[in-house]
Amino acid sequence: MSPAYFLRRLLAVALVLWIVTIAVFAITMVLPGNAAIMILGEYATPDQVAAMEIRLGLNRPAAIQYLEWLFNLLQGDFGMSLRLSLPVSDVVGSAFRNSALLAATALVAVTVVAVPVGMLTAVKRGTKADLGISLVAYVGTAMPEFVTATLLLVIFAAPGNPLLPAGGFIPPGESVAGFFNHVILPAGALGLILTAHIARQVRSEMSDVLASDYIRAARLKGLRERRVIWGHALPNSLAPAVAVISLDIGYLLGGIIVVEEIFAWPGLGRLLILALENRDLPVIQAITLLLAMVYALSNLLSDLVIAALDPRVRYE
Amino acid sequence: MTNSRAAAANGQPVLDVRDYSLAYGTPAGPVEALRNVSLSIRPGRTLGLVGESGSGKTSLAWAIMRYLPANAVETSGELVLLGEDLRTKSLEEIQDLRGRRVCMVFQDPGASLNPVLRLGDQIAEALVRHRALSQKDARDEGEAWLARTGISRPSEMMNRYPHEASGGEKQRVVIATAFACNPEMIIFDEPTTALDIITARQILDLFDDLHDETGVTALYISHDLGLVSRVAQDVAVINQGAIVEFGPREHVFTRPSHSYTRDLVEAVPNPDHRIVTSEPDAEDALLSLDEVNVMYGRGKNILSFLQPKREVVQGARNVSFGLRAGEILGIVGESGSGKSTIAKTLAGLQDFEGSVAFGPRSYSGRHKIDRAYRRAVQIVFQHPDASLNPRQTIGKILSRPLKLYDLVPRSERSRRVRDLLRSVFLPEDYAERFPHELSGGEKQRVAIARAFAAEPRLVICDEITSSLDVSVQASVARLLVDLQQKTGTACLFITHDLNLVRQLAHRIAVMRNGDLVDLFESSQARAPERHPYTTQLLDAVPVPVEASQVSSAAERAP
Repeated sequence: MSPAYFLRRLLAVALVLWIVTIAVFAITMVLPGNAAIMILGEYATPDQVAAMEIRLGLNRPAAIQYLEWLFNLLQGDFGMSLRLSLPVSDVVGSAFRNSALLAATALVAVTVVAVPVGMLTAVKRGTKADLGISLVAYVGTAMPEFVTATLLLVIFAAPGNPLLPAGGFIPPGESVAGFFNHVILPAGALGLILTAHIARQVRSEMSDVLASDYIRAARLKGLRERRVIWGHALPNSLAPAVAVISLDIGYLLGGIIVVEEIFAWPGLGRLLILALENRDLPVIQAITLLLAMVYALSNLLSDLVIAALDPRVRYE
Repeated sequence: MTNSRAAAANGQPVLDVRDYSLAYGTPAGPVEALRNVSLSIRPGRTLGLVGESGSGKTSLAWAIMRYLPANAVETSGELVLLGEDLRTKSLEEIQDLRGRRVCMVFQDPGASLNPVLRLGDQIAEALVRHRALSQKDARDEGEAWLARTGISRPSEMMNRYPHEASGGEKQRVVIATAFACNPEMIIFDEPTTALDIITARQILDLFDDLHDETGVTALYISHDLGLVSRVAQDVAVINQGAIVEFGPREHVFTRPSHSYTRDLVEAVPNPDHRIVTSEPDAEDALLSLDEVNVMYGRGKNILSFLQPKREVVQGARNVSFGLRAGEILGIVGESGSGKSTIAKTLAGLQDFEGSVAFGPRSYSGRHKIDRAYRRAVQIVFQHPDASLNPRQTIGKILSRPLKLYDLVPRSERSRRVRDLLRSVFLPEDYAERFPHELSGGEKQRVAIARAFAAEPRLVICDEITSSLDVSVQASVARLLVDLQQKTGTACLFITHDLNLVRQLAHRIAVMRNGDLVDLFESSQARAPERHPYTTQLLDAVPVPVEASQVSSAAERAP
């Protein structure tokens, strides 16, 4: 990996984010109702709205407004939340941290479970264990988060004898045990479908690797099966697994919105829903941009990891 | 090895296959792969096992290695290695035997080496496993073996990954791994087929040297009779799962008892047996290339600043030559030599600089090429599977050019399609079939018929026989020459098979790294004024052993 390559990739991320700013801004312009109406409420007279529009600069050409918004963004100023009367960066900052905790927990759990399960089913391909796990995984991929979330709630947080809290959030700084208690159900709901999907992908990658000429050659060298699987097959299956996981991060970002709402997790998803209900445009814009940035950067990160895992991948 | 010597003393064969039969279970019932196969290899000898694709030759190798798919059913026989029937051994015993007593060298070294492991580790692990060496000793021993296989800087090679080595180097690593554990027998499964001509020759020489040095017993599997006649002392010919011929090489080649063997021997391209008789009119120039240059990797696009600078590769460098009407010009060269670049350029599929004169007109770039040119110059590709649309019937495929160039009235088209099929010796009712219902050779006949349907003045044949079996290859080559002579169409025959091209081309052009290095009359292939590279290529290719040569070559046998 050359520094020039890394620079080019960062440049590409910046380009993507810039295109996203245009899209985000255009969508908020097209939506009915604007900030002036939001601030004044639905009973404001047209005169009052017009006066407020002038005060907020909403009567200027769209291009000027866009450039001003972009200029402020670049300085880290996302504006004020219309609803909460707080700087957007404060509101979004803490929500982002909470969401990141949830997503990271889910992602680590998914990876730790899905990759070995995928490998196992590929090695045991065609056996009862493979069929059983594959069937479960197949059902798992077919169940969206709101279904698994409800199921988890019914099983683990039923009123009367709840094993786990049905919702809420405790910062890990306050109580690590409390944090884990609260994160298990939402992370589980978020992770189940991804686990199923990634395990299936890893199984198919690993099956291809196991059918390859070099695995055959390794076996015909007389190597023991353990060495064939761990020494020859596994290193070749890891890079594709990372690629699948990074693609699934996009799905994770969507799932988090639903799951946070169900489990009352004070993260970006909940904030986004609140902002949408209240047409809190600056907050919507900031969250959308943030999600786009997370996705673009996680893709970059996965490419770096793949390059580290596979000697053939040499980015110039 | 000591076992081998003991066996040599009492005349016991190293491998003795007795009445072995194998079938594969399929939903449609069992399919026989090997039928009552019996053959044996005496110590220190090389047995060449020759057969076409699907003949069962590789199934036999898997059976010996005890590496059969789950649906394989062994219906009879024994596979005896120095007195022990391999079929009675447990998986654990077999794992201990593989790589130590019987090793295997595969067709494609690029695929049989693990891409994410260093080459040194891939040799060393076999030594650690079978000779109980420490990691360090195994690496030292591996390095010594790399040196013995002619790798110039073995310690550097030990630390490389497969993609950092050339095809020849990779095959040397695989061969070193096979020899390093001092096995009694090595199975070579088409070890040179995936390599370039000159590299293949070097690997073949290496095989000879190591075989002489170690006295290992070898089973050499190949589809190439010419090659086998060079490396093996004994030859077995396999057809549809049955051994039809087995004996000393001189017997098999000079007095084949089975008609299949005779056909196979005859199908092997032999430069002394010309299949083209007529000569083109020397005056009538059809096509000429003037200083044609092709660059790869110079594409521009709007986001190019986000992409790395691509290396520019010159596919063709100042290539000039002419072609006469009705001439067959062969273009030969190794992979990457630029021969296919010339094919694509002349077919109008590749951007180029310089000019191509065709008839009265001259074209100075791909975009200048017009409809008339495209009709007059047709191309047949290497893989008919990829060049025939799988969703169109053969009839539709053949009527496309007729319709496109409006060659025959609509009512006549189906009759013309039938004529075309007949002209390539296919039944007329094939018009209703889809490509997947045809064999490889038949598909290539359809592709040839499609090229000739446009009534072209030049047909470009880009490696059209290389994916076909020897016997099919011979018939396709004859068909092409036959059509070419009937229609008087010129032909650019691109191939890496030097024996074949010497049989059918009037003149031969030799390319290397994008340069046209030599151009000569076929009869002058061995003339002293040939370019050294041409001579090197010709020397690298095993010419089928003729009766007179067999006895002298056989003397090398131990």
